[in-house]
Amino acid sequence: MTRNKNVIEVEGRVVECLRSAMFTVELENGHQVLAHISGKIRKNYIKIMLEDRVLVELPPYDLTRGRIVFRYRN
Amino acid sequence: MNTKPFTTGLSGNAVMITRVADRQWHALHDDLVVGRGHAQHRADGRLFVSIDAWHDVIFDRLAAAMVAALPAPLHTVVDEADAELTAGWRRAGFTVRRREWEYTVPTDPRVTGLDAVLPPPGVTIVPAGQADETLLRAVDRAIRDEVEASAGWQSMPAEVIPLPEGDTVVDPSKYAVAAAPDRYLGLIRVTAIRPRIGLLAVRAGERRRGIARALLAQALGTLHRSGLAEAWTEVQESNQAATALFESVGARPMSSNLELVR
Repeated sequence: MTRNKNVIEVEGRVVECLRSAMFTVELENGHQVLAHISGKIRKNYIKIMLEDRVLVELPPYDLTRGRIVFRYRN
Repeated sequence: MNTKPFTTGLSGNAVMITRVADRQWHALHDDLVVGRGHAQHRADGRLFVSIDAWHDVIFDRLAAAMVAALPAPLHTVVDEADAELTAGWRRAGFTVRRREWEYTVPTDPRVTGLDAVLPPPGVTIVPAGQADETLLRAVDRAIRDEVEASAGWQSMPAEVIPLPEGDTVVDPSKYAVAAAPDRYLGLIRVTAIRPRIGLLAVRAGERRRGIARALLAQALGTLHRSGLAEAWTEVQESNQAATALFESVGARPMSSNLELVR
């Protein structure tokens, strides 16, 4: 987990692709969050698929949600 | 996007919007970065913006700051299923410019019906990795110029990647081409690791001869022999020829993206 400028970022794995452009991501610690794709990823047509390793940013107020900000090359 | 109204302890007035770089904005609350905005020029000149915020009010504040500071027109891309994000951009005055569908394309010839498809007489399909690079760049340039002179690249689904000196063929090994004796007539670009048909195009004077179908047959057949069951691609909704081609081989629309403009 990294915390840079008050942004919490955690690596995880996409375990479910949901409707409404949402994903279930299992974090390194085993917790699961409901995540959407960041605007920059969508703007650049980066496709997120099942089993992708991703970096998830967590909101400071609610650690059950997240935003996928980076997709690692598998 | 998944935003919620402000809850206790937060108010829109307590959020500070700061332009931290030429095309970057931050929303700060109690020294926490609670939202970000970003703008980016594409090679075709369009200016695309994106906002990531955890709350509607922060989204709106960022959008207002960016709209006020950046020259119109501004573009953005949203997944149509993301109702909250789409609503946020609508609140900022953005309207739908076009829709593109994301298709899943089967590769099995028994499903696509492409196993017996041959190119028209006098045309051969050169598999990916075997195309002459000079001829490939020539057909790519010719087709791009034709598009620019007609519909324009702003109507194409995928972004135009910025490259030095207008070079649009990044990796020649990804292209299969349709070849006449003296020149190439069409091309298809497929990435194999995460199979995506990024470009399928035929010279204007050579269309309606079955060249695109033959290129698709070759590309999908290659993916199938590599053990890949599906590819994906994006098609602009108004492109009836492309839509008909992909749906005729069993492609299924899975989601849709909206390009919004203000």
